[in-house]
Amino acid sequence: MNHTPSTNRNAAEIASVLVVVQASFSLVAGLSAIPFAIVEPGFRVLGVVTILMAAAMFWLARNLRRGRRWAWRWLVTMEVVSLAMTALLSLLPIGTIRGPVPLLVNLVIPVSVLVVLAAARSDARGAA
Amino acid sequence: MAAYVALIGQAYVGVMYDIAIDHAGAISAALITLVFGFAFVRGLRFLAARRVAWAVRVRQAYDAAPSITKLAAALMLLSGGLHLALVPGHEGITGVLFVIDGLGFIALAIAAFVTTWWRRPAVLWLVATILAYIVWVVAGWETPDQIGIACKLIELVALGLLMRLANPTRRSWLRRVWRASAFPLMACVTTLGIWVGGLAHPDALHAHAGALLQPVAAVATPGQQVAAAQLLADTRASIARYQDPAVAIAAGFKPGPVSSAEPLRHFENAANANAVLDPNRPQALVYAQTTHGLQLIGAMYQMTRAGQWGPDPGGPLTQWHQHEGICFSPFGFEFSFETPFWTCPVGSTSITTPPMLHVWIIDNGKEGPFAADLDKTVQRELTGRS
Repeated sequence: MNHTPSTNRNAAEIASVLVVVQASFSLVAGLSAIPFAIVEPGFRVLGVVTILMAAAMFWLARNLRRGRRWAWRWLVTMEVVSLAMTALLSLLPIGTIRGPVPLLVNLVIPVSVLVVLAAARSDARGAA
Repeated sequence: MAAYVALIGQAYVGVMYDIAIDHAGAISAALITLVFGFAFVRGLRFLAARRVAWAVRVRQAYDAAPSITKLAAALMLLSGGLHLALVPGHEGITGVLFVIDGLGFIALAIAAFVTTWWRRPAVLWLVATILAYIVWVVAGWETPDQIGIACKLIELVALGLLMRLANPTRRSWLRRVWRASAFPLMACVTTLGIWVGGLAHPDALHAHAGALLQPVAAVATPGQQVAAAQLLADTRASIARYQDPAVAIAAGFKPGPVSSAEPLRHFENAANANAVLDPNRPQALVYAQTTHGLQLIGAMYQMTRAGQWGPDPGGPLTQWHQHEGICFSPFGFEFSFETPFWTCPVGSTSITTPPMLHVWIIDNGKEGPFAADLDKTVQRELTGRS
């Protein structure tokens, strides 16, 4: 198991809080699919996958605070994929980003997580 | 799904959780608060460099504070600025509470750098503010809009940061469980509260969850009543030839996916996408899945882009509607509602449809021939499902 003991505690703490916020919203989205899953079989799978993904994000946030380098890598990958999907969907004429809330949730928070994760990483390198 | 997306236009105008007109100024206030905060820190550094005693003390306290404290203070300052900016649009007790709340947040943001006791009052202030918003929304005293929801998002993030600043020395089993579950629980309660409030108190233009209605006059004129009857007659005559779904398919209408939840099936014709309320070229035909097979029950007219309301010759009788705030899965015609924080289950995405107008050629009960939805009683009689 890799550790980054000198990783900036503050940056990791802030990133973990933002990831917990994202995970909480994913959890809510997964739970909200359950009533629809009663009549829409496809949403049973999507709801369960979303809840599992939220659980994985909580776990990654916890391990980021503990200085696990693999958690850092997984979170960077997840945020980059999330941003790429947002960019792709915003190009389609389906009204994905419209107003301050989707802008904050789908763009500002993932970018902030990446910036803070980069700070944590550079501090770790500087201290190494 | 591809045909469905192909019918969707280029731009978007309206939203399910819109920005209330009296809340729009809060966006400017948020930007001003951020600029003010940045200018204050720069001014503080300038004065401290010139050895102004109080500025030196405050700067030392600011520099000594961890980043997590600075960010939490900035978010509380932002929420305070937003609340104060919203005071003019709120009368009575709500306005007074906004003043108290805004000043409280600003005081706590400053206290973060000059006191040691600020964290616990700040947590209580944030929780009380979020819960008060939920109470107001559920009671119908406040309509949930994007400014209010964005403000709760800012406060939730600030709350999460403050919870990380808690003293970790007392680590009983119960305390650890509470520490891990408190924030997700708060996020769930906030989402549920906004949802319940929005669904329990829809405004005049939200017919049902996920549909926004075209603004129209309250009463139809005699001319509009004649025009509406003409549209119904023309549509009925035009689509009668498609009683057999095979004829519709041969004419270019593509059957929508079969769904166990939706007993109505839309057959769309992409070639008719640019026609505007033309009875000879409807964008879709609607069939009911009955025990005897598919039965033609109506047509659907649709505009080319979201927010572009179509012509309504019947005034309030022919009111268009558009669907929004719905999570669609590309795996079929499967959906759930988007959360107020704009999240959908993994594998689905939020879609806003261009405005549409249904014309029901069967007797649609009390809902009438142009209702957004088929009358529930009629649907149950036709399909055995509601």
